[in-house]
Parts: sequence; C-alpha cells; structure tokens
Amino acid sequence: MKRAAMHLVLLFVIFSIAGCGYNTMQRNEEAVKAAWGNVEAAYQRRNDLIPNLVEVVKAYAKHERETLQAVTEARGKVGSIQAGKDIVGDPKAFARFQEAQASMSSALSRLLVVAERYPDLKANQNFRDLQVQLEGTENRINVARTRYNSAVQEFNTSIRIFPNSLTNKLLLHLTPREPFKAEAGAEKAPQVKF
Amino acid sequence: MPAVDLAVEQDMTIDRMKDHELHCGLRVFSSPLLIVFLIGFLAFFLADGAHALDVPPLKGYVNDYANMISRQTQSRLEAELKAFERTDSTQLVILTVPSLDGETIEGFSIKVAEAWKIGQKGRDNGIIFLVAAREKRIRIEVGRGLEGRLTDLTAGRIIDLVVKPRFKRGDFNGGFVAGTSALIDATKGEFKAEEARPARKGRSFSPMLTLLLFAGIGLLFLGSFSRVAGGIAGAIGLPGIAFLTLGPSMITLVLLGLLGLAMGILLPFLFSGTGHGRGGGMFFPGGGFFGTGGGGDFNSGGGFGGGGGDFGGGGASGDW
Repeated sequence: MKRAAMHLVLLFVIFSIAGCGYNTMQRNEEAVKAAWGNVEAAYQRRNDLIPNLVEVVKAYAKHERETLQAVTEARGKVGSIQAGKDIVGDPKAFARFQEAQASMSSALSRLLVVAERYPDLKANQNFRDLQVQLEGTENRINVARTRYNSAVQEFNTSIRIFPNSLTNKLLLHLTPREPFKAEAGAEKAPQVKF
Repeated sequence: MPAVDLAVEQDMTIDRMKDHELHCGLRVFSSPLLIVFLIGFLAFFLADGAHALDVPPLKGYVNDYANMISRQTQSRLEAELKAFERTDSTQLVILTVPSLDGETIEGFSIKVAEAWKIGQKGRDNGIIFLVAAREKRIRIEVGRGLEGRLTDLTAGRIIDLVVKPRFKRGDFNGGFVAGTSALIDATKGEFKAEEARPARKGRSFSPMLTLLLFAGIGLLFLGSFSRVAGGIAGAIGLPGIAFLTLGPSMITLVLLGLLGLAMGILLPFLFSGTGHGRGGGMFFPGGGFFGTGGGGDFNSGGGFGGGGGDFGGGGASGDW
C-alpha cells in the first residue's frame, strides 16, 4: 500500500510540474508561429506593392533602369525563398530570409531617393498613394517584427528555465527560435518622404 | 486607481522638469528638483511596467494633453464619439501630446494602442487619432478589424485632405471635428453594436487555481492512504505550484513547503468527517491568500476604457 502511494506521489509531482511546463511551452510555440505569420504577411504586402511602384516610377524615370532592375531582382529573390513555417525553426533559412528582405529594403530606399529627382513623378497622385501604402506597410513590418521578437524571447526563455528545460529535453525537443537582428545600416525603416 | 494617479503625477513631473531645464540651465541639481526627480523615478517603477511610462492615462474619447481643442469642441466630439460607439461599437479616441520626446510618432502610437486596447476584443475595431503638437505630426492608428474599410490610403487621404489644411491655418478645432467626421464616415456600418454586449471579457481561471484544486484533491487522496505520503506530496506540491505560477524566493518556497507538509497531513484528517469542521474553515483562508497573490495585472479602471482591441500597425502618418 505504501509503495503504491509513493508511486502515486511521484506521478503526481511529475504531472504537476511537467504538465504545466509542457502547456506553457506549447502555447509559446504557437504564439511564435502566429507572430511569424504576421511578419510574413507584412513582408508579402510590401512585395505585392512593388510591381505597381516600379510601373509608376518607370513611366517618369526611364533612365533609372539600374535602380528599377535592382528592385525587381530583389523582389524575385525574396519570392524565391520559400516563405513557410519551417523558416522559424531553421537558423540558416531565417538568415537567408532576413538577408533577402534587407536587400529588398535597401533597393527600395534607393528607388525612393531616385524618385526625389523627378518632380513630375512626385506630383503624381498614383505615386503618392503608393508611397502612403508603402509607408504603412513598412510600419506594419516594424510592428510585426517587434512582436515576433518578444514572442521569441518568451518562448526561448520558457524552454530554458528549470522545470521546463527538463520537460523539453524529455518530451518536446524544441529548439530556440531566432529573433530578428537589427540590419546593418538599416536601423531606421526607409524614410518615405514627399 | 493608484497607477493612474501616479502616471498623471509623473506626467506633470516631466513637464515641470522640462520647464526647469529650460529656465534654470545649470541649476538642474537643486534640491527641490532632485525630490521631483525622485518622485518621478519612483513613479516609473510603480507605474505597472515599462510601457506605462510614456503613455498617458486614458481619460475619455478626447484626451487633449496638448491643449489644442477648445472645451466646447471637446464636449461636442465626446458626444459624437459616444454616439458612434453606441451604434457601431467602434471606438475612436483622440489623443494630443505636447511632444514625442524624440520618439517616432509610429512607435509612440503603437505603444498607446497596446496600452489602451481601444476597440472591442475580437472585432479589433479601434481607431486612435494622435497629434503631436511640437513635432507637428499626425497619425491615424487603425485597428486590425478596420483595416479593410479604413485602409492606409484612406487614412492618409483623411490626413492630407481633411486634417492637414485646417491645421495649417491654425484651425485645430475644425481639423479635429472634420477629421473625426471623416473617420466616422469611412468606418460607419463596418460593425454593429449588439443589443446587449457582455460586460467584460471573462478571463479564465488562472492556472494556479486549477493546480491548487488538483493538488487539494491529490492531497486528500494520498493522505487517505498514509499521512507520510500526503505530507510529502504537500511539501513538494505547494511550493512547486507557487514556483511555477508565482516564482517567489527560496525562503517563501521553504515556508510553503512546511505549510504544504502540514496541509498534506491534516487535510485528509479534516475531511474524514470526524467532527473537525471548524478546522477546515481554518485552512481555506490559505487558499484565499494565494489567490490574491496571483492576480493584479488588470489595469482597467472604472468608467471609460478600451475593450481589448488589437492593432497591427495599420494607418497613416503625416505632418502639417
């Protein structure tokens, strides 16, 4: 009888500790996934705006072929990276994603600098609308990235602190997720100014 | 609400500090200022999290901290926005701040949105109309649920075509009134207020409560086998639960361990129906104690408040 009771004690302790940590980690992993979804959506939104932007700029600034091409190429590169949930768990794929988006950002800001030189383009209502949309999208990207990073931080902490780390090692085998790092030379979102 | 009072006090402190810096120059470290600074410092730590520092408390539909709107216009806007929320459940809130203190308006705006949670939970139908006086910046922050109607483009046009020209002329009252009407027109009909909305989102029980319940049943069960088993389970389980949910210090854990030991031995005894009913009453306040220790992260005061709406950075900014 006593031995059975001791077994039950053991079982109870394991469940009260492991059970809780287990749920927390699962919840946090889902939170990271959701936050990543928002990051992807925001970047996708930007990508969708680019063809229109390129078209409008092309109409006024035909000579800026190089800049326009850089944007189109960067967009192609971003598109070729299979954006999916697996990126979050794979540091290499994550780095590739981040790099591609960073080159997209810089190509885009170069394009906007070039656009400054064409008063007709700047006055074009279509272009101005696109600028507003781009601005909003950059802001969404910022917000999504920040929230993703805090979700990642919470997740990474939750798989490292004590009882959880044990549960993770035995049951879940979750690996830490990568946060976004500030891009070199791109601490600020590209300034979109009239 | 002490947190709100502190935040107000602290805002005032910051203003006074700025005045001092402007007028006193080098006498920044004079002793009254030091006291003021210390109060501000304390308020910083007591004001519920780091984000609460910069975000002013939500007073109503119109939060005119920069004194840009006349009293008459304010009450008119309040009435209009109240009526709008009643019919459409969409919450539109105006905030003016004297200065952004070097922050971007987008960054500040999302912080306000996260703190105030304007809009209904699940509908995410909140709008924040934010104006920074010194920087001459305008932002319309749009909740996720309204992004379809009030797109970035629409918000941008409202700023450019409706608000900006009036602000340029110095007609702030007209700018706020016209901007508000434009925002209402753009979002009207997207949501309908339900006849009787549930008063507040019912938050589910904290995990601690569930665990305590479980632990109590477990203790009863084990203790009925043997007192030693019950005692051990209590001694391990109670601090375990406290550690997982509250994360207190070592001393607390040890004390809780002893309490758990006692409970594990005595609880089954009390429930075994030998007429010790009064003893049972003695132990339940213990549960009450843990209950109060766990809560306390609600910051919704009485009166006006956000409904838990979510923002994803949608909207537009502009200047005048």
